[in-house]
Amino acid sequence: MRKLLIYLKPQRKRIVFATLLMAVSVLCNLALPTIMSSILDNGVYRSAVENTFPYTAKMCGIMLAVALISLAAVIAGFRLTSRITTAFTRDLRSAIFRKVHTMTFEEMGKIGTGGLVTRSTHDVGTLAWVASMLSGNIFIIPIMFVGGVALCFSKDITLSLIMLAMVPLVIVVVVLLGKKITPRWELSDKYCDRQNDIVRERIRGIRVIRAFNREPREHERIAEATHVMAENIIKANTTMALTVPMTTFVLNIAIALIVWVGGLRIQGGSDLTPGDIFAVIQYVELVLNALISASFAIIMFPHARVAAKRICEVMEAEGTADLIPEEDLHFSGRIDFEDASFQYEGADRAALSHSTLHIKPGDRISGIGGTGSGKSTLVSLLLSFRQPTDGRVLFDGRDAATISRKTIRRNISCALQKSMIYSGTVRENVQMGRMDATEDEIREVLDIAQLSDFIAEQKDGMDYILEQSGTNLSGGQKQRLAIARCIIKDAPIYIFDDSFSALDFLTEAKLRTRLNSQFAGRTQIVITQRVTSAMNSDCIFVLNEGKLVGAGKHAELLEQCEIYREIFASQTGGARK
Amino acid sequence: MKKNKEPFINSTVRRMVRDTRPIRKWLILSSLLSVGIIACAIATPELLGKLIDQLYAWLQGDPSASLTAQLLPDLLILFAVYAANAGITYGNHYLLNHVVSRFYTAGLRIRMSDKLQRLPVSFMDKTPAGDIIEKMQEDVSSMGNSIHGIIEILITGFLQILAIAVFMFLKSWLLALAVLAVMPLSLWLSSKLASLSEKSWHASFEYFGKMYSTVEESYTNFPATKAFNLENHVQQHHDEINTDHQEVARKANFLQSIVQPIIAFTNALAYILIALLGGWLIVYRSVPVGTVVTVILFAKQLSAPLERIASGFGELQMVKASAKRVYDVLDLEEEIRPAEEIHAAVEGNIRFEHVDFSYSKDKPLIEDLCIDVKKGQNVAIVGPTGAGKTTIVNLLMRFYDLNGGKILIDGQDVATLSRDSTRDLFGMVLQDTWLFKGTVAENVAYGKPDATREEIIDACDRAYCDHFIHTLPQGYDTVISEDTTTISAGQKQLLTIARALLANKQLLILDEATSNVDTRTEILIQKGMDKLMEGRTVFVIAHRLSTIVDSDLILVLNHGQIVEQGTHQELLEKQGFYYQIYTSQYAI
Repeated sequence: MRKLLIYLKPQRKRIVFATLLMAVSVLCNLALPTIMSSILDNGVYRSAVENTFPYTAKMCGIMLAVALISLAAVIAGFRLTSRITTAFTRDLRSAIFRKVHTMTFEEMGKIGTGGLVTRSTHDVGTLAWVASMLSGNIFIIPIMFVGGVALCFSKDITLSLIMLAMVPLVIVVVVLLGKKITPRWELSDKYCDRQNDIVRERIRGIRVIRAFNREPREHERIAEATHVMAENIIKANTTMALTVPMTTFVLNIAIALIVWVGGLRIQGGSDLTPGDIFAVIQYVELVLNALISASFAIIMFPHARVAAKRICEVMEAEGTADLIPEEDLHFSGRIDFEDASFQYEGADRAALSHSTLHIKPGDRISGIGGTGSGKSTLVSLLLSFRQPTDGRVLFDGRDAATISRKTIRRNISCALQKSMIYSGTVRENVQMGRMDATEDEIREVLDIAQLSDFIAEQKDGMDYILEQSGTNLSGGQKQRLAIARCIIKDAPIYIFDDSFSALDFLTEAKLRTRLNSQFAGRTQIVITQRVTSAMNSDCIFVLNEGKLVGAGKHAELLEQCEIYREIFASQTGGARK
Repeated sequence: MKKNKEPFINSTVRRMVRDTRPIRKWLILSSLLSVGIIACAIATPELLGKLIDQLYAWLQGDPSASLTAQLLPDLLILFAVYAANAGITYGNHYLLNHVVSRFYTAGLRIRMSDKLQRLPVSFMDKTPAGDIIEKMQEDVSSMGNSIHGIIEILITGFLQILAIAVFMFLKSWLLALAVLAVMPLSLWLSSKLASLSEKSWHASFEYFGKMYSTVEESYTNFPATKAFNLENHVQQHHDEINTDHQEVARKANFLQSIVQPIIAFTNALAYILIALLGGWLIVYRSVPVGTVVTVILFAKQLSAPLERIASGFGELQMVKASAKRVYDVLDLEEEIRPAEEIHAAVEGNIRFEHVDFSYSKDKPLIEDLCIDVKKGQNVAIVGPTGAGKTTIVNLLMRFYDLNGGKILIDGQDVATLSRDSTRDLFGMVLQDTWLFKGTVAENVAYGKPDATREEIIDACDRAYCDHFIHTLPQGYDTVISEDTTTISAGQKQLLTIARALLANKQLLILDEATSNVDTRTEILIQKGMDKLMEGRTVFVIAHRLSTIVDSDLILVLNHGQIVEQGTHQELLEKQGFYYQIYTSQYAI
C-alpha cells in the first residue's frame, strides 16, 4: 500500500494546505461547545439573577463568527481534498494503464484481461472512494479526538479519565468486528462472482436453453445462486451494522458515568460547575463522532488493502523495457528459425520445439495445423511477443534478440487471429496501420479487403462509427477490417494469423488474389487451419503438437507427410485434385 | 437538460416504492422500531437537561441533601434509554438487512434474469453480457441500499423532526419557532445541493462507463497495440477520458462533501438564535433555565435527522438513475408467446413459403424465399459470408420472427404453434459450443434431464466421446464449464453432439464448425455428425466439403436468396455460382 503513496507526492503542497484548513475548522468546532457552555453558564444560567443579556449577545456574535470561519475553512479544505483525491486517482489510473502496456505477454496472461480491467477501474475506484472518505476525516479524526480529549482535561481530569477508559473498549470492539467482517466480505464477493457467472452462462447459452426448453431449470439455478449470495451479503452487513450501536453505547455509558461522578464531585465540594459537566458531555460526543468515523475507516481498511495489493501486482510487474535502441532498419523479408523452441512457464511440453525453417524474401508461406500445434507460437516469436526459450529467430541473418522490438514490429504487418477493433470510425481503425494514409489509400485497402460493399451500404461510409471492440460488426467484417489495417501498413513481411477463418471460400479467394498481386515481392505468411488456404503456397509448414512435421509444396507433402494427408482427407472428404 | 425539470419524486421512485410490496409489513415494523429510536433520541437530551437542572438546583438549594440520591433514578433511566437505543438500532438494521436482501434485491435480480429468458434473441445478440450483469449487480445493489435510505428519510427523518418540533413547542413555542425558522433554509439548501451533485454524478457515471470500455478494449487489443506500435496512441486516448472523468468526479465529490458542513452551520445558527432568545426569555419572561437548556439540546438533536435527510436526498438522486436502468430492462418488449401448445408427432417435412425477413427495416435480407425439404433429407446450406445462412437457423428455431410468408412443418404453419413446442422438435449443434458449469453427465443430459446414466454413456459412446471422458479425473462426474481448459474445443463439440443424440429429435440443425480442432478430433466429429444425421431431416450450415458433396440437397444462398439448388453433381454441371464457390477454394 505504501508504494502507491508516491502518487500522492505531487499533491504535497495541497495536502499541507488542506490539513491546515481542516485544522482551523476542527479547532473552531472544538471552540463551539466551550462558547456554548459559557453562554449557558455565564449568560443563560445567570440571567435568572442578573441581566446578562448583553454578555449572551456578545458571545452569540463570537459563536457566529467562529461558525462562519469553520464553514469557510471546511469548504476550502474540501475543495482541496477533492482535488487531491481526484488527481491521485487520475495519476494512478494513468500509471496503471501505462504499466500494463509495458507488460510481457506472460505477465499479462497471469493476471488476465478481466483482472487487469478490474484493477484499472474497480480497484482504483475503491481506493479513490476510501481516499475521499478519508481525505476529510484523516485530518479531522485525530485533531477532533486529541482536541476533544484535551478540552475534556482542561475542564476536569477525573471526568476525562472516565471517557478515556472507554476508548480502548471501543477500539477492541471495532478491531474484533473488523476481523470478522473481512472474511464475510470475501465470501460475499465470491458468491457475487458465482452469480455473475451463471447469468453470463444464461446469456451466452440463450439459443441452446431455448432450443431445449430448459427455462425452468435456469430459473431455479439463478434463484438458488441469488439466494446464496443474498444470505452472504446479509451476514456481512449484519456484522457491519453492529459497529455504530456498539461504539455509541460504550461512549454513552461514559456520559452517564460522567454525570454520576460529576454529581458526586459537586456534592463533595469541588469547584466543578454543572456547565463544566455539560461541556464535557459535548466533548465526549465530539470524541464519539471521531471514533465512529475512525471505526468506519478501520473497517474499510481491509477493503482498501485488498485493492491496493491487487494494483501492486500490476505495478510490480517487471515488464519488457525495450533496452535496445530503435534502428532505421529495413528487413528484406528473409526469416530463419534456428532450432527455435518455446515453452510456456509451467507447461510440461514445449508449445514449439526445436524448429528450424527458412523463409526467403518474397515467399508465400503457409503454416497449417490444429489447435495446440504451435502455429500461433510461431507468430508470437516472429513479432517478438515472446522470446524463444531455446534456439534463435533471425531476420536477414541477425538474431532478433539483438534488435529492438519496436524496430521488428515496424517491419512486420500482421492481422492477428482475434480481430482487434478499436472504437472509433472505420477510417481511424485502418489508419492505425499507417497514420499518414491518404483517403484514396484507405479506400483501396478496404476494397482489397472486400469491405467496399459494406462501406457503400453505410450512410457515413468510412466514418461509420464502431462500438467498443467492434461489437456492431460481424465476425467476418471484423476480420476484413483487421486485414485492411494490416495491408495499409508498408512492411516487407506480412502475417495473416488465421485471418480468413470467418470468410467463405469465395470472399477468401477474391481477397487472396488481390493480396498476391499487391504484395508480389513481399514475404507473406499465412497461418491457417484450412488446407485449401494453404495448398497453393510456395512452401507449407505442417505443425503438429508443437513440432514441425513437414515442409514443402502441396504435392510433395501429400506424398511425404502423413499428418498433412490426414488434414487434407478430413477437410475435403478425400476430394481429388 | 430536460432532466432538470423532472419532479423530485418521479414515477421511477414511485415504482421503486411499489416494488417493496412483499416486504411492506417488515418495513412497517421497521418504521415502528424507528419510532422507538426517535423516542430514545428525544428522551436523551430531555434526561440530560433534567440532570443538569438538578445539579443547578442542588447548588442553589440545601447543600446537605444527597445530590447522588436525587440523580440516581434519572441516571438509571438514562442508562436504560441508551441500552434500548443501541438494541433497537441494531435490531432495525438487522431486520432491514434481512428482508431487503432476501426479498427485495434478490427478487429484482431473479426477475431480471428471468426477463432475459423471455426477451427476443435479437436483444441478446445486440447487448453485451457485461451491461446486463452490471445492472443486475451494481444497480440493484444501490436500489437495495437506498430503499433503506428512502425509508429513513421518509419515515425516520421526518418523524424525528416532527416529534422534536412537537416537544419543543410544548417546552416553549417561541424557542421552537426560532429553531424551525432555520429548518426550511437547511432543507432547501440540501435539496439544491443534491440536485446539483446529481448532475455531476450522472456525468461522472457516464464518463466512467466510457473509461471502462476504453480500458477493456485496450487491454483486449493488447497484442494489436503492440504489433502496430500503438502504445502512445492508446495511452493518449485513455488519458483524455481519464482526465475528463476525474474533472466531473471532483465536482460531484466536492458538492457532496460540503452538504454536511453547511447543515452543521445552519444548526449553529439555530443554536445562536435559541441562546439569544432563551437569554432574553429568562431575563424578561422568567422562563426556567432547564427549559432553555432542554430546547438547546433538542435543537442539537435536530442536526442528525437534517443531515440524514440531506444525504438521503443525494442518494435518492443517485438511485433514480440506477432504478431507471433496471426498469428499462424489465420493461423491454418480450417475445410474443402463443398460448397454444401443440405437440404433434412429426415426420419432418419442412417448407418455407415466400418467406421475407430482415434484421433491420432499411436493409432487406431474405425476400420471397421458398424451400421444400422432404423428411429424412440432408440439406446443406452454402453461400458467402452475410448471405443469410445463420438466418435460416434463426428462423427455423423461431429465435426471430418472419416479416412475411410462412414456415410449415408437415403442412402445419409454425406460427400457430407455441415457440416451445416448435423448438421441441429440433435438435441443435452450434458452432459456438455451450457448456454450463456442471458435470459432464449433466451437460450431456441437458436436452433430456431424466436420462439414465446408461443412456448418457450410450449417447457419448455413439458420439465418440466416451473414451476421452474416461480419461477425465472423475469421468462423467467431472465438473466442467465454458472456461475449462482440460478438454479441447473439439471435445466440447463432441459433447454437444452427444447432447443432441440423447435428445433424439426428428429435426436437426448443424452449424458445422471445423475451426480450432485438431485433425484426429475432427475425424471423430465428422463421424459423430454422420451418425447423428442418420434418418433425420437435417439442415447443415456447411463448411466442410464432404458434407456438401454428399447432401441430398444443396441450397446456394447469396444476398438472402436461393440462387441455385440441387445435388453437388447437378450444380457442378450447371457451372454457375456454386461452381464458382467450389472451385474458388482451390484457386487460393
